[in-house]
Amino acid sequence: MPDWLETALRASLAVVYLFFLAKMIGKRQVSQLTFFEYVVGITIGSLTAQAALVGGVDTLINSMVALLVFALFSLGSAYFSMKNKVFRNIFEGKSTVLVKDGKIMERNLKKERLTIDDLMEQLRMKNAFKLADVEFALMEPNGRVSVLKKTDKQPLNASQIGLDVRRESEPQVVVMDGEIMDEGLATIGFNRHWLHGELEKQGVTLENVFFAQVDSQGKLNLDLYDDKIQMAQPSNLKLTHATLKKCQADLELFALSTKNERMKQLYGEEAQRMQELLEEITPWLNPDAAKKMKKGLDALP
Amino acid sequence: MTVSSQVKQTLASLKSAQANLETFALSTQNQKAKNMYTQAAQTTQSIVDELQMRVNELEQQEPQYKGY
Repeated sequence: MPDWLETALRASLAVVYLFFLAKMIGKRQVSQLTFFEYVVGITIGSLTAQAALVGGVDTLINSMVALLVFALFSLGSAYFSMKNKVFRNIFEGKSTVLVKDGKIMERNLKKERLTIDDLMEQLRMKNAFKLADVEFALMEPNGRVSVLKKTDKQPLNASQIGLDVRRESEPQVVVMDGEIMDEGLATIGFNRHWLHGELEKQGVTLENVFFAQVDSQGKLNLDLYDDKIQMAQPSNLKLTHATLKKCQADLELFALSTKNERMKQLYGEEAQRMQELLEEITPWLNPDAAKKMKKGLDALP
Repeated sequence: MTVSSQVKQTLASLKSAQANLETFALSTQNQKAKNMYTQAAQTTQSIVDELQMRVNELEQQEPQYKGY
């Protein structure tokens, strides 16, 4: 067997083996890397490289055994940490209080070998530029710093001002790459008929839709393939135009019917302003009516 | 229908139209249309305010027309 073929075979074997080991260890490795797991991860990588390239077949087998041991160790540490607090402290470490009651814990800083500059940098990254704003800061076992700001420096939320807010649950994607996602639709309690109806209401065909999302109020939000297409505004525009026109007419009517001179003048002025507003806004609300209006004006002698 | 209730009705329609204009201003992506709608909403709001004052005045003078 030529050398290169052997390398190729060994490499493929190592990759597949590594894949299964990675699956076994799980995603914990990536999400919360403790120092120990970090080192284990690196070692596993280098062992795999060795299994693929270095030495003869016995090295291959030995590397694979070593790999397995490392993976099992990682798994075991995770398992025991889950079961027991003492193991957890050993394997994952403890958090360190860096700021308490707004005061820096110098001794703990020293213990973590953090300079005051490092601490301030971490605080700034958490948007606490002044030490005076910080009530409590903690270095987590993974090295990140969590910050609790003083109550009066925390961002305002709805419950603090007694504001009643609508509860919103997660939105659902109903169209992706132009294909209907039945699962999302079903989760939010709609079906394809509803979707087609909504699309029709907005004057869009399914083929044009790249992405669509429904929020918890049942409002459909679309993104079209062609970004130049302006989505048709609902006929509310015309309705509003009609309402405005009616109000203008009403005001004129009031001006005519009242006997009070002051009232007459006030209503008249308002009717006049409404008229100006209508002339300005009609092309936007109801282009057809605007054209007619213009024609009517032109037809006047 | 009394004059007062007619005025109130107009006021209500005008308020609804004003709110619609604001909705349009928020929902459109076209900057020019946005400006138009915003301006129209402001003008309408000022008329609504004036009319509201008138209604209050009316109600003060003729308390029997208070309410809806």
